[in-house]
Amino acid sequence: MARNKRCKPLLNHVCPICCILPPHMNDQIVLNGDSTQKEWALQSIRASEQFRERRTIVGALNLNAAFNLATVGEKRRTIFDASTGTDLPGKRVRGEGDPPTGDVMVDEAYDGSGATYDFFYDIFERNSIDGLGMRLDSTVHFDQKYDNAFWNGSQMVYGDGDGELFNRFTISIDIIGHELTHGVTQHEAGLVYKGQPGALNESMSDVFGSLIKQRTLNQTAEEADWLIGAGLLTDKVDGTALRSMKAPGTAYDDKVLGKDPQPADMSKIYTGKADNEGVHINSGIPNRAFYLAASEMGGYAWEKAGKIWYIALCDRLRSQSNFKRAANLTVTIAGELYGPDSAEKKAVEKAWKTVGVV
Amino acid sequence: MRVTFERSGGFAGLIVTTSVDTATLPATETEHLQQLVQSANFFGLPAEIPAAAQPDRFQYEITVEDGNQHHTVRVGEASVPESLRPLLNWCMEKARGS
Ligand SMILES: [Zn+2]
Ligand SMILES: [Zn+2]
Repeated sequence: MARNKRCKPLLNHVCPICCILPPHMNDQIVLNGDSTQKEWALQSIRASEQFRERRTIVGALNLNAAFNLATVGEKRRTIFDASTGTDLPGKRVRGEGDPPTGDVMVDEAYDGSGATYDFFYDIFERNSIDGLGMRLDSTVHFDQKYDNAFWNGSQMVYGDGDGELFNRFTISIDIIGHELTHGVTQHEAGLVYKGQPGALNESMSDVFGSLIKQRTLNQTAEEADWLIGAGLLTDKVDGTALRSMKAPGTAYDDKVLGKDPQPADMSKIYTGKADNEGVHINSGIPNRAFYLAASEMGGYAWEKAGKIWYIALCDRLRSQSNFKRAANLTVTIAGELYGPDSAEKKAVEKAWKTVGVV
Repeated sequence: MRVTFERSGGFAGLIVTTSVDTATLPATETEHLQQLVQSANFFGLPAEIPAAAQPDRFQYEITVEDGNQHHTVRVGEASVPESLRPLLNWCMEKARGS
């Protein structure tokens, strides 16, 4: 697919599911060549216009990552401790293969990023966030009583929570999967973080965050709770989680936090300016579409619905894509994978119709 | 003087708001707030401070009305000027009801 900005030669072999083109020769050299050949191949990749373009998209892409393609499937996790400060990454406290430290946040960040890596590798043959074996760096104990977790463009960052409303932000594996998926989106569709493309960006993180949790618990679509951030709210809060993909708007209703503002369909879409025009609010609409499609298909949600969404994220969605575009693309992909009259395609169509997007 | 504050976004996506009118504050607190507004050079800040796109970071919107002056600043967590931080922290504490 020549028109696909994502399928750069360097990446083809790391996402066999979403790429149709055969691997570029350079890729094979980077994978299998000796060190001189690798250096030569990398020189030529560096020089190529495509790679230069990609480097701007990706930001500080570490070329060394390309060398590690030789060890495909190898996790490289490092956990840092900011000790309630805000300097990143902080002090290194656990590296790949090191035993548990006994600090629950350190160990949850380590295990959660491992489960996320394994999910993308085992299910989609994706080697880490960038598809090139990128290191998975996480910082815990960021800032004081910090009620948040985020992806800063090159690493994950987790706060302790204030203890009153929020527990530690490593407590739920779908939060860790959510943050890492922001990294995947950054390297793939590059959905801008505003308005509907931003809400799709958020939704992709919730979708794959939830799938990572479901796979860890070996749950089918029917068995899963479809909650984001279960366990994050303290027992002083009236609520079960931060978001519900199954029933957006019902995750909490509390005198301090207020009521879950997520709309379940287009009739209630948020149009204000807050939250980058509602990226964490309107994500409820595509979240529910995914839940509906996956439930209709049945079985493990990552096997069919997850695959359709992953292909959309990697190969079809663009930085400015809106809900309607995402709906049309996922319907098309379902048709390509399972047939034009397939139950899977109908399930995706019905899901987007139910939430009012098509 | 009247200060209107909103923090949105973050992983949780909560919208936290508060509005403070100095007419309802003790004199010492009013003085403190005026100092915070002044040391932030609030009326000299741009209306929109662009932030590097970092998913799940907080977004702030703060409006100060003082006499005939009226200004709104929208800023992402990653690009909050050091001089503005104390004012945002003060507002956040107010919003949390302390
Ligand atoms: Zn691809
Ligand atoms: Zn997010």
